[in-house]
Amino acid sequence: MKNYIFVQPGLTPAEIVRRVRSLKGVCLSTTSLRDAGQSDYKNRLRIYDLKTLAPCYNQMGLFSAECHGGARWHVGLMNRKESPFEELEILRSLMPDVLLKTLIRETSLWGYRPYPPNVIKYVVSQVDIDIWRCFSFLNDIRNMRMAAETVMSRGKLFEPAICFTQADWATDDYYLKLVKDIVAMCGGTDEIILDIKDMAGVGSPRRIGSLVDAIKQQYPDLVIQYHRHTTDGLALPALLAAAQAGAKILDVEEDSLARFYGQPPILAVHAYLEEFGIPVHLNRKEAEAAVQKVRTWIRHYEWAESPFKGFDHHVVYHRMPGGAFPSSFEQAENGDFLHLMPEILTLMSYYNKIIRYFDVTPGSQITWVTCSSIVNKYMKEGGKSGVKHLLALMARFVEDKRQDFSSMEKEEQEELYQLFRSASGDFKNLILGGYGRLPMGWPDDWVYVSAFGEEWEDKIKERSELSPLDSLADESMEKQKRTLAVSIGREPSEEEFILYLMHPKDALQFIQFRDMYGEAPLVLPTDVWLEGLRKPGGKVDFEFNGKPCTIELLSVGGEHDGYIHVVMSVNNKTRVYKVSTPRAKQVEIRMAKGPLEIGAPINGNLWRIGNPKRGMLKVGDIVHQGEEIASIEAMKMENAVTAPFDAQIEEICVKLNGIVQEGQTLFVLRQDDQTETQSPGSSTVIDTPWPG
Amino acid sequence: MYKNIEKVLIANRGVPAVRIMHTCRDRKIKTVAVYSTPDRLAQHVVMADTAYHIGSALPSESYLNFDNIISAALQAKADAVHPGWGFLSENDRFADRVIDAGLVWIGPPPEAIRAMGDKIQAKKIAVRCNVPVIPGISNVTTEAEIRKWMEEDAVDFPIMIKASASGGGKGMLKAENNAQIPAALAQVRSEAAKFFGDDTVLVEKYIERGRHIEVQIIADFHGQVTHLCERECTIQRRNQKIIEEAPSPSLDEELRRELCSAAVRLMQEIGYVSAGTVEFLFDSSKRKFYFLEVNTRLQVEHGITELITGLDIVGIMIDVAAGKPLPFKQSDIRPNRWALEVRLNAEDPRTFNPSFGVISRLYSPQGPAVRISPGLYEGADIPPYYDSLIMLIMATGADREDAIRVMDRAISKDLRIEGVKTLAPLLLSIIRHPKFIAGEFSTRFIEEHLDELVSKFIEKDSEDEMLKVARYVAEISALGTPKWI
Repeated sequence: MKNYIFVQPGLTPAEIVRRVRSLKGVCLSTTSLRDAGQSDYKNRLRIYDLKTLAPCYNQMGLFSAECHGGARWHVGLMNRKESPFEELEILRSLMPDVLLKTLIRETSLWGYRPYPPNVIKYVVSQVDIDIWRCFSFLNDIRNMRMAAETVMSRGKLFEPAICFTQADWATDDYYLKLVKDIVAMCGGTDEIILDIKDMAGVGSPRRIGSLVDAIKQQYPDLVIQYHRHTTDGLALPALLAAAQAGAKILDVEEDSLARFYGQPPILAVHAYLEEFGIPVHLNRKEAEAAVQKVRTWIRHYEWAESPFKGFDHHVVYHRMPGGAFPSSFEQAENGDFLHLMPEILTLMSYYNKIIRYFDVTPGSQITWVTCSSIVNKYMKEGGKSGVKHLLALMARFVEDKRQDFSSMEKEEQEELYQLFRSASGDFKNLILGGYGRLPMGWPDDWVYVSAFGEEWEDKIKERSELSPLDSLADESMEKQKRTLAVSIGREPSEEEFILYLMHPKDALQFIQFRDMYGEAPLVLPTDVWLEGLRKPGGKVDFEFNGKPCTIELLSVGGEHDGYIHVVMSVNNKTRVYKVSTPRAKQVEIRMAKGPLEIGAPINGNLWRIGNPKRGMLKVGDIVHQGEEIASIEAMKMENAVTAPFDAQIEEICVKLNGIVQEGQTLFVLRQDDQTETQSPGSSTVIDTPWPG
Repeated sequence: MYKNIEKVLIANRGVPAVRIMHTCRDRKIKTVAVYSTPDRLAQHVVMADTAYHIGSALPSESYLNFDNIISAALQAKADAVHPGWGFLSENDRFADRVIDAGLVWIGPPPEAIRAMGDKIQAKKIAVRCNVPVIPGISNVTTEAEIRKWMEEDAVDFPIMIKASASGGGKGMLKAENNAQIPAALAQVRSEAAKFFGDDTVLVEKYIERGRHIEVQIIADFHGQVTHLCERECTIQRRNQKIIEEAPSPSLDEELRRELCSAAVRLMQEIGYVSAGTVEFLFDSSKRKFYFLEVNTRLQVEHGITELITGLDIVGIMIDVAAGKPLPFKQSDIRPNRWALEVRLNAEDPRTFNPSFGVISRLYSPQGPAVRISPGLYEGADIPPYYDSLIMLIMATGADREDAIRVMDRAISKDLRIEGVKTLAPLLLSIIRHPKFIAGEFSTRFIEEHLDELVSKFIEKDSEDEMLKVARYVAEISALGTPKWI
């Protein structure tokens, strides 16, 4: 049997590059584990299902498998409850011979904000990845420096990407300048692979052919990978053109996985290129097996597909990247403005001529949020005709007047001055240089007037041309780690800490979910993960920690007082689960907050309010710092509650001889000038710690 | 003629009540449980042959309520009352009432309880028997008295303020300086009045880095007083023992003999009958021991003595109460193994705050060399009113190392409790601590090492993890696909 494996983990970057160069024809990189799911299934494809492809991949002779990074990371935490680290570990063990690839944003890695160099270095060093595909949505090569240095010094393969778009200003010269900077930064062409990232799928076959050719003319040894989405419907001829011009690596996914916004289908690419005489390095038998494998589980994900089905050649105007399609439509659906999508996409096509950068994260989010909120605002204020008016205004300004602001009518100018007035902080940060300099220069002044009003001139003075790597100071990671430890009540693992660095809020929820439900997201079949066991007798068998498990649903009780009792047989033991529904009565226990509310130090019986000397305290009484004001008894021990400072009792929140919970408010104190004058020596009040 | 004991009322709940009922079952003696309102379905009630409600949740209304308990005993036609430990076990007036009601009191004579219940009296007797005691003063009501004594007898801090009738680590507080005295004194007096019905207080010099060693005594009405060797109970938190072992790793043969015979001397002097314990504080650096007190009752940790001797102390208490002579002589007592006990309390292992609620899952340790003394069952509710002990776990071995190994398995691999927090993680960290393994510790071991012990918490178990998956399936099956998916 022929061995198709030609590159493997453990090889040096130079050796990998050498082997790709010496390959006849092209090789393939699969995106099924990452971008395919991102583009057509909102990143909901679970590792439980995706891992079934790994044994095929391990023999397919792939260049690499992109399985990590991009939005899969964040959605993993939020929706699939999977950690990218677990995914890597699973894939490594199932396909040890495949190079694993991630996609990072140059300074924001897998998060959305720019990180200082120390965080980038730390995070990149902690992750077990062979190939680091790295892009800048501003095509600002300076921003890649830290990631490039860290990846290359660790002996991993760095794959800088240039974001591609088709526009009058996006010329060969423009791209060649970027490649020149990349080659200079990476010390030549022997240890890198250059990625052309056509994230929207807008490159016409001829344009792509000529770009690859131009780069190859100048850098004949540079290995080029072409990453393309299928949105415009022209992916196959574009791939052929790239390959004919000398691209060596093409991104593909299983035919059975392909929809409209992901990568082109692997078997079709193989057949099409070979017909044109370009050898494709691929174990076709295994590739066919993988295509069949997908069919066994893909039906579980129909719900996750974009509601906007079909190719969309309009993408060459609005340029929404394939990876942003499903999530944008999901937001539109949730926000109840799906019907406004055509108008939003049209506005985007004008917007990207006014503020020029590349529509890819985080730029694509900024574009999307800015444009969708402007359209929604016009809709709210003027209905359908309001939106129509907006688009007419933009057409006139961008198309008819070629963005000559002064040639617009006075009231049109006034209207444009309001266009970005309520834009997000991210938008404002972007045009002030917070992410780095924009590839084609700053937008015109009226945009600043529109965003900042009267302060616009000051804001322009603040604008920075620096790379965030140079403008951001190092952050104390110890401090953040401690914050995390306090939030989860234990020391976090390195991996949990990295999740937290990238997505603080969602990482916390993820960690809490996993503390509660363990490995449910990894071991349960997708139908059970989505819907549970639907009727009594329903059963799920799975393997857990190398041992067989069976859960059988015996019965689901009716709702009573907001609770449902679920009876299950778990490995032959009957267990009853009390599940609270949204209607469950929340016993309102008031918890002490702030210095003036005194909480119970422990759970127990509040058997005394006051102290033996003074007897029972009542509202209005003055208490003194250190004085016992209550006593709680639990398990035969008394625990005194003392006044943290001199104060007046404003409220007593509990009943004598009642059970109190740790932290529950016992007293509300009042502190004012009057109590202070009555009790000298209370000036240290602010420094006094209080319980809870 | 021996008294007839065919039905015993156990004036207790939880672990002690269940423990006593096991022996009664061995002997085909019928059992009567008493219960407070929240204990209606408690394990001891389920286990007993009959059960009587004796009052509301507060101990003073139920488990400390003489009248209700005695009337339950009479109504049930019980022959005898066993008080267990805690509650009324060292209450001489209750013992009197039981006897006056014509019932057999399974415990020491009320006079002996009285004599030893008064710590001041007990110390005097100890001195009389030539047993060393800790310097102190008695009948303290004001701070001034404490200061005066410290000045006159040149005593330095720390000192220990104790209820005269204290026991089980309750009703005592340490004072490190003058400022702490007033609050400590007030609290001890209050606790003393509430839990022991007597607010007399004594104050003693606090022996630092001391070890707590006690001798188990068993005596009959025929004048025979026998010791069943010692137990080491040094590992304590808030003056409450949580790990005990027998024999003591601190003693050599000579000291052991000295200690045990001092205990026997003292108990002979007061004419002790039934099971009781003489407690000593051992100053290991000076190799000296001091008399602390006598516990005139069955003790929590009696089980480890049973394990090393093969005897059933509760059974012997019943026989002794019936008037039978001890079935062995001192020379018959030959311990032949090591035994270790941990107290599984329902408490937060970091803060020791009590934890109560429903036990949603419970697996007891099993397998060779393990003994479990349970107080509840899966599904039971732990009410907040009583002692936090929910289970005793004992492990034996040919030597100490063996016993520790068995205990490690029992806690880390076998025991599973969900629904309340327990001391299990702390107990495990302690028995794995090199100083504990080496036998180098004092009563302050936990406070000195708490941070380190707490940092070692966490044990994952494949079944625990699987049940988390099951919980997810249960919730989704009941509620449908969650929105966030």
